[in-house]
This record gives sequence, C-alpha cells and structure tokens, in this order.
Amino acid sequence: MELLMDSKVCNACRICELACSFHHQGVFAPHESSVKVSADFKEGKIQLSIDDTCDLCPREPQPLCVQYCLPGALKKEEAYERR
Amino acid sequence: MNAARMGGLAGKILRVDLGRQKISTEDTWKVARNFLGGRAVNSYLLLEEMDPATKFSDPENMLIFGVGCLVGTLAPGACRVSVETKSAFSNGKGSANFGGHFGPELKYAGFDHVVITGRSKEPVYLWIHDGEAEIRDAASLWGRTTGETEAFLRRDLGDSRVQVASIGPAGERGVRGSIVFSNPGKAAGGSGVGFVMGSKRLKAIAVRGHGAVRVAAPERFMAAVNKALAMVQASPYAEGWRKGIIEGKFLPHSPAWDFFTSVRNGQDDHWPLEKRAKLAGLESGVPRYKKRMAACFGCPVGCLPYSEIGEGKYKGTKGVGYWINSATYSTKLDLDEPEASLRFHLMLNELGLDGDMCSTSLAWAFECFEKGLLSKKDCDGLELLWGDGEAILAMEKKLAFREGIGDFLADGVKESARKLGKGSDSFAIHMKGQDSADPCRAAKGWGFGVSISPVGGRHLRGAVSAPEVTGPRGLPWSPTGYENIPEAVFWQSQTKEIEDMAGLCIFVGTWSGVHALEVSDYADLISSALGIEWTEEELMRIGLRAVNLEKAFNTLHAGFDRKDDYPPRRYMEEPIQTGPQAGARCDRERWDEMLDRFYQLNGWDRETGWQTEKGLKNLGLEEVAEKLKKAGRLK
Repeated sequence: MELLMDSKVCNACRICELACSFHHQGVFAPHESSVKVSADFKEGKIQLSIDDTCDLCPREPQPLCVQYCLPGALKKEEAYERR
Repeated sequence: MNAARMGGLAGKILRVDLGRQKISTEDTWKVARNFLGGRAVNSYLLLEEMDPATKFSDPENMLIFGVGCLVGTLAPGACRVSVETKSAFSNGKGSANFGGHFGPELKYAGFDHVVITGRSKEPVYLWIHDGEAEIRDAASLWGRTTGETEAFLRRDLGDSRVQVASIGPAGERGVRGSIVFSNPGKAAGGSGVGFVMGSKRLKAIAVRGHGAVRVAAPERFMAAVNKALAMVQASPYAEGWRKGIIEGKFLPHSPAWDFFTSVRNGQDDHWPLEKRAKLAGLESGVPRYKKRMAACFGCPVGCLPYSEIGEGKYKGTKGVGYWINSATYSTKLDLDEPEASLRFHLMLNELGLDGDMCSTSLAWAFECFEKGLLSKKDCDGLELLWGDGEAILAMEKKLAFREGIGDFLADGVKESARKLGKGSDSFAIHMKGQDSADPCRAAKGWGFGVSISPVGGRHLRGAVSAPEVTGPRGLPWSPTGYENIPEAVFWQSQTKEIEDMAGLCIFVGTWSGVHALEVSDYADLISSALGIEWTEEELMRIGLRAVNLEKAFNTLHAGFDRKDDYPPRRYMEEPIQTGPQAGARCDRERWDEMLDRFYQLNGWDRETGWQTEKGLKNLGLEEVAEKLKKAGRLK
C-alpha cells in the first residue's frame, strides 16, 4: 500500500502537514511533514508531494493525513493518481 | 512562567524601526500573560506606546502584525493575523484582520508579533526567516500588483512556500482605503492599514519558517481539536460554505439579499430578483466561473472560490475571492454584469484597494453624477452611469492610482463630500470617518454592531445577523427588531476579541458561517495549548478588557464619544424604498435606547459614552483609567 493523492480535490488547507508533523514529532511543524502542499493561488495551482519519511502511520487505522483530509484528496486506495 | 516553556506562542516580538534600520526582539509573554495574543496584544502595545499627538501619516505611527496564540496548531481555522495602527480615516483605532497562510508561517519563523515604526527613505521589504529579519531593497517591487509581488519574492527567494503580505499600487500612492493583501484572496481591509504600510515605504513582508509550534498538553489538545472538528462537520451550514459563500448562502432567491445589500449608494436596500439572478445565478452568474475551492491554513471548511474568466472582454481575470461583500459592492453600484463584478473584486486585491472604501466612494461619486453635482468633465470624460461595468472598472483603477477624479476620491467619502460641498455630505456613507459598505436599516443587530464598531462602519466587531448563527445561544431576538440587540452585540463584541486573540476564524466560531465552536471550546483549546487554565468566564472577561483597550484608544486619540456611535444620516432619515423590508430605517429614539443599554452593559457613561473609573477598575485596567483621567475623559 502507498499513499495516493488527488491535487484537483485538494484545497491547500495543509491540515495534512499539521497531522503528519504531529505524528512524527508531537509538534506542529509543516517542515517536518512527509506530505507537503504547495499552492500558487493566483494561478489556481495546487501541488501535493510526499517524501520517503512517510511510514503510513502504522499504529493508526488510517494514516493521520488521510484521516484529517476533509476534501478527500489523500487516500490509501488505487483509484487516485500515484505519487 | 516564560514563553519558552509555554505552548502556543512562538515566543518573540520582532521590532523593526525602518527609519533607523534597526531590528530587535523581545519576549512575547510579558504582554501575552494579560492579553493572550493577536489583536489584544497589538491593542495594548498601541495604547501604551503611541503618543495621541501622532498623526496617522507620521513616521511614528506604529503598524503591528499580531498572530493569534492558537495559530499554527491544528485548532480549526487558526490562521488569523490582526493588524493594528492609527486609522488613516480618523486617527483613532485602526484595525484589520486577515487569514490565509502568512500567520502560521510567521509563528514557524519564531515570531508572534511584528511591530513596525519609522519610515524608510527608499522602498523596502522585510524578509523574516527562522528567527532572523532583514530590511531589503524593494526598488524592483515598487509599482507591482500584490500578485506580482508574491510571485517575484517567491522566485527571488527561491522558495515556493514563502508567504507574503504586501501592498499594491493603492498603498504606494497613499489611497487611504488601502489594504494589506495575502493569498488566498485575503485582505486586512479596514482603517487604511495599507496606507500606513505604504507611508513607511514598506512594500511587503515575506516570511518563511522551518520551526514548530508546540502545545503544552498534546493529548488534551488533540481531544479538543477532534471535538471541534466533529462540531464543524456536524454543522448544517458546512456543506454550503464549502461551495463558496455565494453558492452556500447568497443564491438569487435567498432572503439574505434584503438584509445585506445596499443599492445605489444606499438609495434603497432591495435589488430586483432578475438582477440577483444575472449576477449570482448558478448557471449565468459569478458561480459559473468557479474552477476550484481553496482554503486558509488549517481550515476544515475551505470557503474560498478560485475563479477564471476564459473568454470575452474580461478574459484572463483570475484569482481567489468573491464573497457576500463582493455582491454588496455590485449592488451599491447597481452592477449586475457578473464578469465585471468578478473582475472588480479580483482587481481590488491586485491593486491593494479596500472594497468597502472603493465601492462606497465610487457609489457616492455615481450619485453625485446622477444628481448633476459632478460633470463628465469632472470625471475625466467618464459618464458615471449606474451599472456600467466599464465605467466602474475605470474608476476603480483611477482610485488606486490616484489619477484625476480618483485623486479627488482617494481620501475617503467624508473628505470628498467636504471638498465638493453642495449638500453631498447628506449621502456620504461613513462612520467614525471611514467609508462604510454595510447596510444598517433592515437588520437592526447588524446596523447597531456596525455603528458601535471601534473601527468605524465595519461588521466584524459585534454585528449580529440572525439568532440561529450569531449572538449568545438562547437569547431571544429578531433580525428586524430592537429587543435584546444591545445584549447580543455586547456578547459578540467580546467573542470577536477572543477569536482574534486566538487567531481563530469567526466563520468556524461563534459568528455567522459554519457557526460551530463555542467559547467553552476556545477555553479547552487555549488552556491545553498554553498550559494555563482559562475558563469561559475568564475568556469573556479578557474579551471585555480588550474591547476597553480599543475604546480608550479612540477616546484619547480621536476624541470619539456617543455622537460617533450612530449610523449615517441617510439610514436614519431615508427608509428602504422597495421590497419586503420597505419602510425600515434606523429609528433615532430606538438607537438612543440601544446605546443607553449597550453603554450600561459595558460599564460606560450613558451621556458621553466614555469609560468610567469604576468599570475599568473592575476589569483591572487601572493604568488605562489613569491615562483617561489625565486627559479629562473619564467618568
């Protein structure tokens, strides 16, 4: 399994970055997040990326970023574009 | 306890003197211990450090950015930044607030507040990164729009995650109604905060941080966050707002139009259904240009539409933003053309203009033209005909660049009417000297909240719309009645101060919008983040302390008193002409009764509206009482 993401659905709230950094470090620090969101709002462009530090939150029923993603841009399913 | 051992706060206040080119830092906690963060800390610093003799355009005027104590955490919608200064419209309390992604980035860079004084000789920008700050040359930025400024700085600094707050051409040229803008589509709009930034020749603040915001009790904090998020999800209003505010609340048949629109400079407050349908209909109106939704940092709602116009004469118009206010700007100018209305709004952001000031000043000029008080020649060859999109967009640009008639209008409608004379002050819509776009006649709680607002004619400081989405729960009141309005506005003015101390968006909080969280939820989030217990009652008390800081500033610096807490003359003398609210106006006697009660609730003197020694002592604000006493303005 791997994390799949849909940048068209993402609204760049970056709650995933907060949840992920809290999982890794117990603090809120987007820099420490495995998932990163870059947004150019003037152009309506949003990009999602993920790095090798993602462990898919093994002790959680779902990765925290997936649990907290309200628009549903992050999934552990095959139906989304691969990272 | 010091800030370094606490949660929530970044820990430092950054001070920048642009005149002397000096930068220093100090501990946030010495002020935050009494005022938590955000607006209230800004208000305290402004009241403590500013000389009442200082004018808004003086280099000594302070411009303070303050990030709420929950910003940067997972608390829902905790992203807001308060901006305080001396108002460019009144020399009284200048105050504005914006969301987006700038505030959290400032916390990650190590700062809760940025206090800017002095005036640079040349245009500069401030580059804040990981505990450091530099004043940098902005010659190549001066003249650029806000969007161009953000793009330039991200490219120049080599980092697409740099967040930027900037002024546009309007702020550079000293238009009083200038904003500080930050994406996605967020403006610190009121009080001319962008004018003050421009007067300091500060084009932008760019910020990037790789640090963290900690909370003192992580497990309790996350439990409070999860509860709050569940409340947002359970709100019956959340789904609508996720479509954008127009689609969520302001479709053509919505009764809200008859409460929250002002038509042709307030000649009426009712706009016919066919015009609403043309402007805001799903198929034919502004919503048809929506391409996706965007969100402020940490927001579980995401109410921001991104739109693009792909064809026609306004092809290429794009950006985030279009709210109920934007529709109000259109009705004020009788503009039902959706493409021109969308462009008008998005250009406000690019030019760095406040929509309330721009639409109000333009609507006044259009009415002057209608009445023959301004000629085509006076208007640089333009015919100011209601609803003419091209004329409206041309005037918007003229105002931003202070060109011709735009220069005449650039100091606000109060000053424009003074210069023109000819009775034009009778339809100049301003409060406490500031242009106001808010209607006041149909919804009395809205009108009253707008008229008592410490920043003048704005709706975010206590205005209440309907009891199901604003005001304290359980209090009986009606949108069109006067009963219990002072109580509702009194409560909402305090909760707004708490929300601005915490940096929480009011749309997820106690005000209109998703209307999910309550003050008890704030207490849980703030207590677990900071590691100090705050009860709901204590938060309401600190909210009232913050209200009193702003009130004292206005009394000392602008000389405001009871006479300044009324709506514009037009709204008291001329009733709504047509529609279901026809006949409604602001009744002077009922307003007097509401003010009596409102002052009593606040512990203020009924006759003058001034604060009282007893009231301030009850709040532990003896030092404030002393200042007012020395000035002879305390009862």
